[in-house]
Amino acid sequence: MVKLRARCILVGDASVGKSALAQMFRSDGAHFQKNYSMTAGVELVVKSVNIPESSDSVELFIFDSAGKETFVEACEKLWGQPSVLCLVFDVSSEASFRSCSLWLERVRAHCQGLQVPGVLVGNKSDLSSRREVETAVAQEWAQNQGLEYHETSAKEMENCDAPFLSLAQAFYALYQDRLQTIQTLA
Amino acid sequence: MIDAALSSSGTRVVLATSGDENYPPENIIDGNTETFWISTGMFPQEFILRFSDPLKIKLLTIHSYNVKNLKIEKSASSDATDFDTLSEKEFEHTEGHLQANDFSLTGTTATHLRFIITSGYDHFVSVHRVAIEGVYQ
Ligand SMILES: Nc1nc2c(ncn2[C@@H]2O[C@H](COP(=O)(O)OP(=O)(O)OP(=O)(O)O)[C@@H](O)[C@H]2O)c(=O)[nH]1
Ligand SMILES: [Mg+2]
Repeated sequence: MVKLRARCILVGDASVGKSALAQMFRSDGAHFQKNYSMTAGVELVVKSVNIPESSDSVELFIFDSAGKETFVEACEKLWGQPSVLCLVFDVSSEASFRSCSLWLERVRAHCQGLQVPGVLVGNKSDLSSRREVETAVAQEWAQNQGLEYHETSAKEMENCDAPFLSLAQAFYALYQDRLQTIQTLA
Repeated sequence: MIDAALSSSGTRVVLATSGDENYPPENIIDGNTETFWISTGMFPQEFILRFSDPLKIKLLTIHSYNVKNLKIEKSASSDATDFDTLSEKEFEHTEGHLQANDFSLTGTTATHLRFIITSGYDHFVSVHRVAIEGVYQ
């Protein structure tokens, strides 16, 4: 039995729904904040994820970071060495999708060449009539960046856990892989 | 001169911040580089060794993998308080074989040593052996 710990950096433009997703995940879908309350720094959300078919788990330390430009620099100071990355945009905002490459660059600058598993999340999939980013386009960009793509709606409780579960599993797979390498050295 | 960092000579690991029960921190002081303790994510990571008696240290050698920055602190008290920094070092990255680093700590007397790994070349780092040449006081 092992309990891994992962530093999960949660980023994306302001009001795309990062805090909504983190809170839905934390509360098992019990808590959706309808009114926008801007994150002004980093809010830490901690939750453990069980790895299926094992007695192992990954404790995610989610660094829910402010999307608003003025706070970004202060947030970056708290990121440390990221373990995994969750990059969010709003499917009803083309601009928030275009910002993703900048966010990715920012986080990668803290990764010191380490392999950091990441997901791209298109949130607010409930706003279908206002959709500006097609699934296929987001999917293709994610793939080119080595990210796994997920669509979610925090509002409709759609798929909100999936990005975090997939990150936990990817980190767990990395651990197994490294363990194997170390065993061959000794 | 003896290797004082051995469980057989009464040394114990009194704290380790990570734990996979298949790779316990006791593996650090079993005298064998084939067995190891592995960190399980995030930095810093640390472990503390306690000696059976105050130990006058000469040379310390540590075998590890993917450790980047290591800080060693000592305490001369009996209850693992009042740690002072002894040494700090950035290890070189190795691939395919273990890192082996020596610390010359001539004249230091300690009851406890605390090893703080502040960063790594990977998410997970392993420590295979700590060996200490010294004399019990
Ligand atoms: N329709 C819809 N609205 C959502 C969804 N997720 C979040 N919202 C709303 O979008 C607004 C912003 O959500 P937040 O979670 O605060 O956004 P954020 O990304 O944390 O924003 P910052 O903290 O400023 O970076 C809130 O009013 C939420 O209720 C969703 O899936 N669908
Ligand atoms: Mg927020």
